[in-house]
Amino acid sequence: MEELRDLHPLERELLRFLREVGESSDTEIVSRSGLPDEGSFRRAAEWLLSRGLVRESRREESATVELGPVGRSYLEKGTIPELALMEEVREGRTDFREIQGLDMFDNARWGSALGSLLRAGLVRKTDRGLELSSEGENVFRLCWKVVYEPLSRGEEVSLSGLPEGVADLVRSRSPKRTKSKAEFVIRTHVTRYLQITEKGGKALERSEEGGETVGAITPEMLRAGTWKGASFRAYKMDIPPSRIHSGRLHPYMRYLDAVRRKFVAMGFSEMRGPLVESEFWNNDALFMPQFHPARQIHDAYYVEEGLSSPRPEPEIVSRVAETHENGGDTGSRGWSYRFDRNRTLRAVMRSQGTALSARCLASGPEVPGKYFALARCFRYDQVDATHLPDFFQIEGIVLGEGINLRHLLGLLKMFAEEIAGAEEYRFQPGYFPFTEPSVELHVKHPALGWIEGGGAGLFRPEVCLPLGVEVPVIAWGLGLDRLAMLAMGLSDIRDLVTPDLSVLRRMKIRADKLVGGGGGDA
Amino acid sequence: MPKIEVGASDLKRLSGLDSLSPSDLEERLTLLKAEIDDWRKDTIKIELNDTNRPDLWSVEGVARALRCGERGRTDHLRDMPAPSRKVTVNAAMKGIRPYVACFRATGYSLDDPALEALIQSQEKLAESYGGKRGRAAIGFHRAEEISFPVSYGPAPPSTVFHPLGEEGEMELAEVLSRTEKGRQYAHLLEGMDLYPVLTDSSDEVFSFPPVINSNATGRVRPGDDDLFCDVTGTDWETVQLAATILACNLEDRGAEIEPLRTAYPYETPAGRSPVAPLLFADSLEAEKARMESVLGTTLSDSEISGALSRMDYVLAEVVDGSVRGVLPPYRCDGLHPVDMIEDVAIGRGYHSFQPVRLSGYTIGRVSPRQLLADELRTVLVGMGCEEILRPVLVSETKLRELTDTTGRAVRLANPMTAEYSVVRSSLLPGLLETESVSGHAAYPHRMFELGEVVRVDDDGLTASEEVLAFLACGNDVDLGVAHSILGGLCRARMVNLELEESEDRRFVPGRSALVRIDGEAAGMIGEVHPAVLDRWGIDRPGSAFEIGLATL
Repeated sequence: MEELRDLHPLERELLRFLREVGESSDTEIVSRSGLPDEGSFRRAAEWLLSRGLVRESRREESATVELGPVGRSYLEKGTIPELALMEEVREGRTDFREIQGLDMFDNARWGSALGSLLRAGLVRKTDRGLELSSEGENVFRLCWKVVYEPLSRGEEVSLSGLPEGVADLVRSRSPKRTKSKAEFVIRTHVTRYLQITEKGGKALERSEEGGETVGAITPEMLRAGTWKGASFRAYKMDIPPSRIHSGRLHPYMRYLDAVRRKFVAMGFSEMRGPLVESEFWNNDALFMPQFHPARQIHDAYYVEEGLSSPRPEPEIVSRVAETHENGGDTGSRGWSYRFDRNRTLRAVMRSQGTALSARCLASGPEVPGKYFALARCFRYDQVDATHLPDFFQIEGIVLGEGINLRHLLGLLKMFAEEIAGAEEYRFQPGYFPFTEPSVELHVKHPALGWIEGGGAGLFRPEVCLPLGVEVPVIAWGLGLDRLAMLAMGLSDIRDLVTPDLSVLRRMKIRADKLVGGGGGDA
Repeated sequence: MPKIEVGASDLKRLSGLDSLSPSDLEERLTLLKAEIDDWRKDTIKIELNDTNRPDLWSVEGVARALRCGERGRTDHLRDMPAPSRKVTVNAAMKGIRPYVACFRATGYSLDDPALEALIQSQEKLAESYGGKRGRAAIGFHRAEEISFPVSYGPAPPSTVFHPLGEEGEMELAEVLSRTEKGRQYAHLLEGMDLYPVLTDSSDEVFSFPPVINSNATGRVRPGDDDLFCDVTGTDWETVQLAATILACNLEDRGAEIEPLRTAYPYETPAGRSPVAPLLFADSLEAEKARMESVLGTTLSDSEISGALSRMDYVLAEVVDGSVRGVLPPYRCDGLHPVDMIEDVAIGRGYHSFQPVRLSGYTIGRVSPRQLLADELRTVLVGMGCEEILRPVLVSETKLRELTDTTGRAVRLANPMTAEYSVVRSSLLPGLLETESVSGHAAYPHRMFELGEVVRVDDDGLTASEEVLAFLACGNDVDLGVAHSILGGLCRARMVNLELEESEDRRFVPGRSALVRIDGEAAGMIGEVHPAVLDRWGIDRPGSAFEIGLATL
């Protein structure tokens, strides 16, 4: 296909250079072609390569030597342990332990230097201590001369240019791992050679015939008006856009934001509360007997001895205690056991968002009132693809004179439609220790079929009356993690809290589609 | 939640519902707050959600509820003969294991499914409802091997006895140390000098509750048609209810129940001479107007009594605007009139109640803390930062050893794994962990988490606090990056930022500071110490800050 697009000035520059020299390496082009910088060269080269106007003729690999952290410390000292050791011996210090005592290098370095000198036959051990076996040129001195000295002057040292013995020494002292202990670091470079193609030559000729075109529009042009009458170089339109690194909110937090918006739109006010709860608010105030299975050590995380959460008011504790024991003034017969007041103070990781509802009831809520919370809760579970140690629950209450079972069903219908986006749903009797009647909402998910959509009920009088609320209260709760996974297309719940930025960046989120229900858009 | 396994054909026969399809059963199970967990060939696994209804934890109980839902209530244990045999209780039992309830079931020859069901309900009642055999434990025996009357009394640990399934006789103490069941339940008898046993008229020990039966009487087999059941335990109601439920189950199978009188030398809630199985007849009373106001609908008297009959209530009558219901003998979970009101709703079916929309007007509000958090998140994202979300529970290693976090943090008393054993007191470890596994993700890395941490004061009082942490990592990152982000935040909040030189082991000496916002200490900022980076395996420099939101 004929190349229709004009050449960019950078491209033209590069092509001209290659036409002149025939073949050239990347580094040579950058330094000699007149292109402004390496970045400009790389961009121009990629464009030209992709359009077949230049081609890669060959590649050469080369290795250069640099100093590692240890090597740099030798350079600062002005010598390496082997040379220093020979120097000490030459000056008559023949007792190795005495040399080891010098603080120029540490014990281990002196030791390994002695080892290398013995192996190289430069030093021998005799009855009188250490002696030099050879006074002539040696690989260590050579190494200092051809590696350390040029590097200290900022010159490049190529591995292939070193004498064989020195090259071996350098290789043996540049470990691939533990670079922090390396004397040398070997860097390999690939040199690429480019040539202009026949097609490139023609494109350049065409471009030169056409004269200069305007590329980027500059402020100078606009000020001076030189753009008038100029011909603008056409840009290629079907290239992928360059990537912008953007900040972003966490996908799960965006899901929670969307749920929060829904509830506020439905007239709910948000509740907040502590992560470490007293057993009082977590269980007792919810009329869960202290012997209830969900309060066992294997169902909730308890906090170590000696820690506490703020003490609830004694009058409220008394009313709750009495209700547990014999029903108090609630018309109930109670659970008929001895309520342990000390247990109310034990600190537990909030196991249900209902704890927040209990706190809200006790704090003199508005009537009529609607409250919700996005509560992080904890449950004693093995962490796997479907369980996290902490999870988000949406939780709430509705208080009002004359509220009844049918309002409860109406509220659940609203959740099914607005939050879960379900067209089909059903209500079933459920069991929760703190509600009666209790209802479970089931919603039909397009992919998964019937799934649980939350539990709800009217709070038992044994819950409301001791906390000072006399009107009926609807309570409901629902784990959000699963719905969020569905909305985000995840199959492993651990991905909701992944520490891997690339996984996080790959998550595809359409925040406007995260929760159900329509808006008012025409 | 208890789960039971029932035979599909057994369930159909007992319930009288011959053509039971999965969807049909699923629908009917809602009546008893239960659902199908699995249905493979003839075996159905059913999950029962009501932890207060142990009567449902057996195929007989499920079948009974389905039957009543279809055809209305039936009688239970109505034509029992007067008790002619008795159990005598020794006075010492009051301090050992005070209560016992026994009955006999005759005239029904156990078939395979019935025996399996019997074993399963014994297990569910004793383990789940009976508190792992503490509050109540159950034994079944071949009644023909027992000579009446029976005694319930204490025995020294040296008493010799042949436990079920063992080669020969051994002492009770040996039963506890040498047999599997013995070791499993020995803790229930710990510290006791005398153990509970049931002996027959010839002084032969035939049961060692709550551990094991004797080999002679306990070997119940298909074809047996004369059973003796003992329930012993520490809680009166649990013991009696378990016995009554088992008697109803066997009666539903076709057995005749012969009650036994128990003679106590001490008082029980039912006197010194109660009869088992006890017919619980808890009654609940509710104003009809209240019932109608809770359910949001008007109901005729017959609708109410019809609904309660489907729930097997013995009696449901409306007199002078008041509804009185008597629960069936196997239930004692009626605490409050609302429990009966729910039974009316379930008996009628939830589908018969039309949802209505709430009408009261309320104003919705986002919590002020969340409004602030959202504001900060927006500003941070605008500055190119990425939001991170990490679990609240962390490991001691990540918080302390790797990150060098100081200050007290909440430790769990019962962690499941060390990985999640501490409640985070700082968000930085989570960000450092993110960086440590994200070296392959394109740079720049500028991340933040806004979330709750828990702090502990000197008195051990815990408090959740909203905190913002930021971490930047990359080849050319220095203190300036974190500082400029923090500066941007403070400008957006129109507050004054000051840094006050301060050392912190997490940061490079001389490059860390206390953050003061409008003069108040808000947190720390610094260049992350290479030792911290090294321990996390991060090979690029980083800078970070962590501040409480209270000052912003």
